[in-house]
Amino acid sequence: MNLKECYEALGGDYEDVLGRLRTEKLVQKFVLKFLNDKSYELLCKSLETGDYEEAFRASHTIKGVCQNLSFTRLYESSHQLTEALRAGWSEEAAGLAERVKADYGRTAAAISEFQKGLEG
Amino acid sequence: MSKEQELKQKILIVDDSEMNRAILTDMLESEYEIIEAENGVEAVEIIKERKAELSLILLDIVMPKMDGFGVLEVMNKRDWIEDVPVIMISSESGAAPVKRAYEMGISDYISRPFDSTVVHRRVVNTIMLYAKQKKLAALVMEQIDENEKQSALMIDILSHIVEFRNGESGLHVLHIRILTEQILRYLDQITDKYSFTQEEITLISTASALHDIGKISIPGEILNKPGRLTKEEFDTMKTHTTIGAEMLENLAFHQDEPLVKEAHAICRWHHERYDGKGYPDGLKGDDIPISAQVVALADVYDALTSERVYKKAIPHEEAVRMICNGECGTFNPLILKCLNDIADVLPQKLKESTPGRTNEQELQEILENKLQPKDAPASERTLQLLERERMKCSFYASMSDEIQFEYTLFPPMLTLSDWGAKRLELPELIMDPFQEGGPLYSIVDKGDIVEFLRILTDTTPEKPVVKYDCKANISGESRWVRIVCQSMWSFDDESRFTGAIGKVVDIHESRMRMDALEQMASHDAMTSLLNYDYAKKQIQDLLRERSGEEYVLMLMDVDGIKKANIQKGREFGDKILIHVADRIKEAVGANEIASRISGDEFLLLTTCDMDMDMDRAASRIAQAVEGEYEGYRISVCIGMAGTRHMGTNYNVLFHGADAALRAAKKNGPGQRENYQNLISTRAEDKL
Repeated sequence: MNLKECYEALGGDYEDVLGRLRTEKLVQKFVLKFLNDKSYELLCKSLETGDYEEAFRASHTIKGVCQNLSFTRLYESSHQLTEALRAGWSEEAAGLAERVKADYGRTAAAISEFQKGLEG
Repeated sequence: MSKEQELKQKILIVDDSEMNRAILTDMLESEYEIIEAENGVEAVEIIKERKAELSLILLDIVMPKMDGFGVLEVMNKRDWIEDVPVIMISSESGAAPVKRAYEMGISDYISRPFDSTVVHRRVVNTIMLYAKQKKLAALVMEQIDENEKQSALMIDILSHIVEFRNGESGLHVLHIRILTEQILRYLDQITDKYSFTQEEITLISTASALHDIGKISIPGEILNKPGRLTKEEFDTMKTHTTIGAEMLENLAFHQDEPLVKEAHAICRWHHERYDGKGYPDGLKGDDIPISAQVVALADVYDALTSERVYKKAIPHEEAVRMICNGECGTFNPLILKCLNDIADVLPQKLKESTPGRTNEQELQEILENKLQPKDAPASERTLQLLERERMKCSFYASMSDEIQFEYTLFPPMLTLSDWGAKRLELPELIMDPFQEGGPLYSIVDKGDIVEFLRILTDTTPEKPVVKYDCKANISGESRWVRIVCQSMWSFDDESRFTGAIGKVVDIHESRMRMDALEQMASHDAMTSLLNYDYAKKQIQDLLRERSGEEYVLMLMDVDGIKKANIQKGREFGDKILIHVADRIKEAVGANEIASRISGDEFLLLTTCDMDMDMDRAASRIAQAVEGEYEGYRISVCIGMAGTRHMGTNYNVLFHGADAALRAAKKNGPGQRENYQNLISTRAEDKL
């Protein structure tokens, strides 16, 4: 699985990210870093404890990172969650949170697959 | 700039996502040194510490602990926003946050996702723009600094020329500057009356260095004369104030420069005194610019505490005490309070300097001006001249029998010249001289003292001279004296009466001669009655001033004097006339007038009450003079004219009395006739 295939798997826009960050090497570097980002952990934790302000910031950060990496699918869901959480906890937010979790899982799986290919 | 700084400018990236920071870092780290902060609080700490090093801040909005707007708020409050440009980064898409961020002073705004070219270009542009601005500002500052340095340098050179020529310590100007600055700074703290900005304090302190530039035109012989200056030399010395001011007035340019204006005020007025007794303009109180007041005090303090050829430096504490006690001139109480309050720290402030060369003149001038409470300092020669004048006056006074005196209101004291005191047998000093029962009252009547004081206190500065004649008891003899004196007035605006100086002249002999002359001029030599001219004048005065009283004018003729002259000799005739005159004198009262007008004719003016017949008035006189005199029987004829019927015109009355007298004489000796009766008789005859 190459980087472009990885983007296809996680629902991202490879052309777009390459256009902004210029080199495949740089894109690869940040894509691999994505798994180390603590924002997703923070989001899950704060949703569990009901700290929705913290959940909003975590969701906002995920959205920003996805924006920068052109992870379009996760960006869409995290963006909608962020806007929902801006107004506080709601039925809609709960549904969007589930969607973000699903999209994040898919994204993380794709990157792990790509990383294995590099190591292997 | 150091080499590392020159190599890489620093950018602070503030974002809570390590990922985002990493992306930005990657885009910029080849050209810039990157510092990272993961929230607003961390960012503020870094900005506070390393503000001067930072070329740019990239700031995220949504962050934990403190968000991007929080950071901007702090930067605005502390004015950091002026020093470091900020580029805002956010995925926030609405217009409101962008607008708000621009209002808070950001330079640019980058929205996610980052395009490395765009980020790079914007970062570079912003940094360059700020760098240019900073460089320009630095250039301007440098220019200003240079200008200030150069004016300060010029001022130092100028004032040192003066000091050098003055043989003065090179530290004088430095001390004045430090003292002036310290006093102004403190003055600004303790009162709202005067307030100074830091710039004004610097300006005045700098200008203080020029206070003595006028001395450049004072001749060296005077400036560096060893020993005391004469009055004339001191007068020349004094002109350094006005000359210094003129030098600045004559500058071709810079007339409106605040420094020139301050220096002008200081040059001209740093020898004025708070009580108005200084020079050149005699300004008083806060009419003297506060800058000049402060420099004047600094000048005195430094003169006192510096060492001179003829004196050791007065210790700091002693100098402060002397100045505060008013021993060195009068100063604004607020400035004295400053000196007193900051006295403890002053020696420390002046410590770096040590006393240098000496300047006798400077101290002498200041001390002569400030130490003496009197208006002008008197040189020894002036004092000698004064003493000589005093001796001359005293000598001439003894020659002319003058008693000289000086009277002062405060203290109430009369000082007599020593010759005068001996002559009057009084002490030379009399305290409370006009207190009743004092020694003066044994010399002059109380009435005269009261009247004299009334006239004296009625004088004005324009008409100060009083002449007063009275009798004085001198060595047991009552003699006429004339007091001539001039009232004295204070020199301030109010012109208060402060006393008098004058002399007492013995005019007894001349007064007696005058009295005799007056007697001769107005009186008949034989009978000592008034002569006709004088009597006429007196009668006219009396008639003019009469208030309700009626008078009778009488002409009286002594019968048979020609016969007596022939029978018993002319001398006997004269004796009879003298006898008659004496009897008349006894008969007439205070408001009546009697005179011999010629030969045996007398003129009288007597009072005549409303209810009194005119004939009775004539009878009173006739009875007084008629009778036996050495075997000779005296009788008189009298003609009368009364004011009740004829009015007060002298000529009318005189002609009436004359006609009545002629009518009386026709009827034989001892007759009396009233002009009023004469007219009625004639009227009856006609009928």
